[in-house]
Amino acid sequence: MERLFGRPRPTDDEMRRIPPGQYLTGKWPILHYGSVPSTDLSAWDFKVWGEVQHPLDLTWEAFRALPRTAVHCDIHCVTKWSKLDNDFEGVSIATILDLALLTPSAGFALAHCEQGYTTNLPLDVLLADDVLLADTYAGEPLEPEHGYPLRLLVPKRYFWKSAKWIRGLQILDHDTPGFWERYGYHNQGDPWKEERFSDR
Amino acid sequence: MATSGEPAERARAEIRRLAEAKGHPTDNARLALDRLDQAFAAGELQRTPLLDAAVGDLGLALLQDEGRPLGGKSAEAARLILRAIVRGLDEA
Repeated sequence: MERLFGRPRPTDDEMRRIPPGQYLTGKWPILHYGSVPSTDLSAWDFKVWGEVQHPLDLTWEAFRALPRTAVHCDIHCVTKWSKLDNDFEGVSIATILDLALLTPSAGFALAHCEQGYTTNLPLDVLLADDVLLADTYAGEPLEPEHGYPLRLLVPKRYFWKSAKWIRGLQILDHDTPGFWERYGYHNQGDPWKEERFSDR
Repeated sequence: MATSGEPAERARAEIRRLAEAKGHPTDNARLALDRLDQAFAAGELQRTPLLDAAVGDLGLALLQDEGRPLGGKSAEAARLILRAIVRGLDEA
């Protein structure tokens, strides 16, 4: 990767991995609203409820005891930066939802996070192989400003869908917009279709 | 049914002016929220589910722990939510 005017100059291979309208960065910009929350792991839990047969309420220890998965992926922010070759580790959503047992009417999820942040995703997106509840980046625990202790990772969507400081998943039989989606961000957020904003 | 009359129109105009003023969106948001609260308390405007939800979301976007900075997306959130509040004033 060369540099051009302070930004990395992408190679041909990297160019093919950068969605339209995005630029390559080697940094990991920090973007969120409110303040970075502080977390007491002894009081932390992760809940799954709604259209499931076995609602979950996992402690940090119980979460960490689940089978783990590593994902190597590119990430793309709606603010137009893309960061390639990221290594996350955590627990796949499929593992979590296998424990919770979806009801036949389950079709969508609303991720609930610290400070009231929410984002919505259809289950067919959430159940992709590269979707994680990630607690590790590049072999280290997530930094507080990147979502410690746990964030959602949905590489095939703009990164606002990869919600930081996640505390639960509400499984629904209908779609309902999350925080940014209510105020003008696109409901799907596919970077390859440049689904940044809705028409509202 | 939306409130009508001079106090309601004055409150709507003042909230729109505060929301759309030049300046930082988070500052505008705090001022517009204060005026909206006053309008509700005085009966100049009535609450609606849309406004209640937007006010709640705006509060989250402006939530700031003591000694910690607001995140870079607070301004964008304030701008977008204020736009929704302004749109919803006619129903209040």
